[in-house]
Amino acid sequence: MILGYLGAGALLAALVMGGFSALLSFWAGWRDTDVFIQVGRRAFYAAAAMTAIAAVLLEVALVTHDFSLAYVVEHTDLSTPIPLVAAGFYGGQEGSLLYWTLILGVLGSASLFASARIGARVAAYAAGILALILSFFLFVLAVVASPFDLLSITPPDGLGLNPVLRDGGMLIHPPVVLAGFASFAIPFAFACAALLAGRADAAWIRHTRRFALLAWSLQSAGLLLGMWWAYHVLGWGGYWSWDPVENVALMPWLATTAYLHSSQVQETRGRLRTWNFGLVILAFLLVVFGTFIVRSGVVPSVHTFAISAIGPWFFGFLFACIVFATALIAFRAGRARVDVEPAPAVSREGAFVLQNLLLIGVIAVVFWGTVLPLVSGMLGAERVVGAAYYERAAGPIFVVILALMAVGPLLPWRRAGRPSLRALRWPAATACVVLVGLLLVGVRSVPALLAFPLASAVAATVFTEYGRAFKKPRTILRKRRRYGAYLAHLGLVAVVAGVAASHFAQQEKDVTLQPGEQVTVAGYTLTYTGSEQRQLQDHTDFVAAMRFGDQTLEPSRATYAGLGGQALTHVAITTTPAADLYVVLAATGADGSASFRVFVNPLVTWIWAGGVVIILGVVLGNVGQRSAVPELARRRVPVTLPA
Amino acid sequence: MTMALRWGLPAVVIAACVGYLIYSASGGSSEYYLTVSQLRAQAPAGDVRVAGVVQNDVQKSKGGLHVTFTEKDGTASMPVEYTGTLPDIFQPGITVVVEGRLGGDGVFHARTLLAKCPSRFSTQPYTQ
Repeated sequence: MILGYLGAGALLAALVMGGFSALLSFWAGWRDTDVFIQVGRRAFYAAAAMTAIAAVLLEVALVTHDFSLAYVVEHTDLSTPIPLVAAGFYGGQEGSLLYWTLILGVLGSASLFASARIGARVAAYAAGILALILSFFLFVLAVVASPFDLLSITPPDGLGLNPVLRDGGMLIHPPVVLAGFASFAIPFAFACAALLAGRADAAWIRHTRRFALLAWSLQSAGLLLGMWWAYHVLGWGGYWSWDPVENVALMPWLATTAYLHSSQVQETRGRLRTWNFGLVILAFLLVVFGTFIVRSGVVPSVHTFAISAIGPWFFGFLFACIVFATALIAFRAGRARVDVEPAPAVSREGAFVLQNLLLIGVIAVVFWGTVLPLVSGMLGAERVVGAAYYERAAGPIFVVILALMAVGPLLPWRRAGRPSLRALRWPAATACVVLVGLLLVGVRSVPALLAFPLASAVAATVFTEYGRAFKKPRTILRKRRRYGAYLAHLGLVAVVAGVAASHFAQQEKDVTLQPGEQVTVAGYTLTYTGSEQRQLQDHTDFVAAMRFGDQTLEPSRATYAGLGGQALTHVAITTTPAADLYVVLAATGADGSASFRVFVNPLVTWIWAGGVVIILGVVLGNVGQRSAVPELARRRVPVTLPA
Repeated sequence: MTMALRWGLPAVVIAACVGYLIYSASGGSSEYYLTVSQLRAQAPAGDVRVAGVVQNDVQKSKGGLHVTFTEKDGTASMPVEYTGTLPDIFQPGITVVVEGRLGGDGVFHARTLLAKCPSRFSTQPYTQ
């Protein structure tokens, strides 16, 4: 009871401090007054601290089973293991908003801490924008959807956690995704602040680079963990289903991926300034859009979300953000124009621009697929698209991006001469060899014949670059950002190979077996040995054992008596070098027979390994990296050598 | 060549290509998302997705891999037939989305069956 009052009080105090910080910071930015800048920033720290206190109070209420709070009752019960009770903090609508606000407060404070050196006015505006965003979330938390709402009668036990979520993945996937979403606000705030202050140089890019990288890394990890979790838990044999919830997480990631590439053009060549502002703003708008979609239930999804009062508030917030950002770009970005000689199309710059345009194209495809039910519903009968749409529309764009990844890194800045074109012979030769090999093996699917050769060409490009660098090993450490990026490219090659193999060569079979009978799928033989029942802490497991070589696979079905007999299927997966064997227990008969669905998924492990390599490449490439690259914008670079 | 032409032209070309991809792909593979009563009123050609509540007449056969049941919304209902693994939470009373087409026999032949998966942490909202 007391925790509820304290928590609500902390949120209200945080809201007041947040609003105060926003007002002071904007005033300070407008009038350029040093004192107010500092006070505004400290008010932001105070708001973040109050949010942290509220978060601690909610966590204490959860762990101590304080069932006077509606949130604790709705999301936990006494039988749920304590780590999962603690995870209830971000498991529900209100708690996840509080978690988001907490991350925004912490990262926002960190980004403001050393912001004075990029200019007092930029720092003040950035604090103001961050404080506004924070205040919006705090307002929703304090007024519309409070996690501290009290029940009039305290029940003896809670309602408990959905069995699908009683899994280790629950402990790590949601917090990473939500933290990723929250961190997109920081580059956005500094980009807008730079525009407001009329600063067009790359200072904001350098200052927020680590936050953009953090947002990107968290979002990459979140997507990867989500795929991994879905694959291991949901039992349909796949990892990505183009559900709106997945799409809205993918879009900001694509925008940030584009930005991480194009910001290099500004840092080293002083170009694409307006474009970079646009990408960072787009990424944040997509995050807000996604939050609105996910939490308002306006598009059909297999996930049913709590349809709550926060939908209209997020719509209003999205609208305000779009108006603000569009106005900023329209009225302020013109100043960012620089008069530099245009680069020729065939150059590193050209490759980056093309890659950016293609990624925006993918975003457009995904966006249209996500909002089609909404748009068509307004115009008449509601229409939806499935995986086939995304594959047909985004597939060709991904193929071009792969081809570009094979070529781009070998092109020099500014211009492509003969030597760089000659460097392309290795990737081209590799692609041809792989293509011929696939044709000889008997592959006839055109998408597969494009994906594998192009992916191997990308790998050849990376190895060509590493080969050059190994002659002077020290350059790898000195230019680790670049070689880290190549490592990320290599990781993507593995992901592409894994996705293509598991997509084009997946096999599945439905089978009903008596104990002792065998089934063979794609050359893998499984023997059903019999079933047994096991009683565990909060559920009963019905296990049907399958023997595979010297291993035993145990697909099972868990029944939760405490939750009215809700059932949950546990998939059994074993990994061989070439493929995953994925066994789902579909049903059991009274005579001891069992029905299985068996999938053979080639190279799925490559996706997980490749994903880890991508993130490692980017993180390692930037650890301890000073933003040492000077901006060359003011210097005019002659395109041709003087005669 | 001016700056605008140099970068604008490729941008326009790519935008046109993406537009064409979106147009052709969504034309070919979009489906109507209907309620049972809308489907009863007018069944479009091709596959559709239909949302409704599973009724009490679920019958399983072929070792649990084949299932028939009645799907109902506020006013209309239809028999559904489906072969494949069922979602764990499949039981009378839950909302499912079936994808397939209404046969001449009046039975909806489902290709896929999705349960509305509760993304919420809780099992049901707490009401007193």
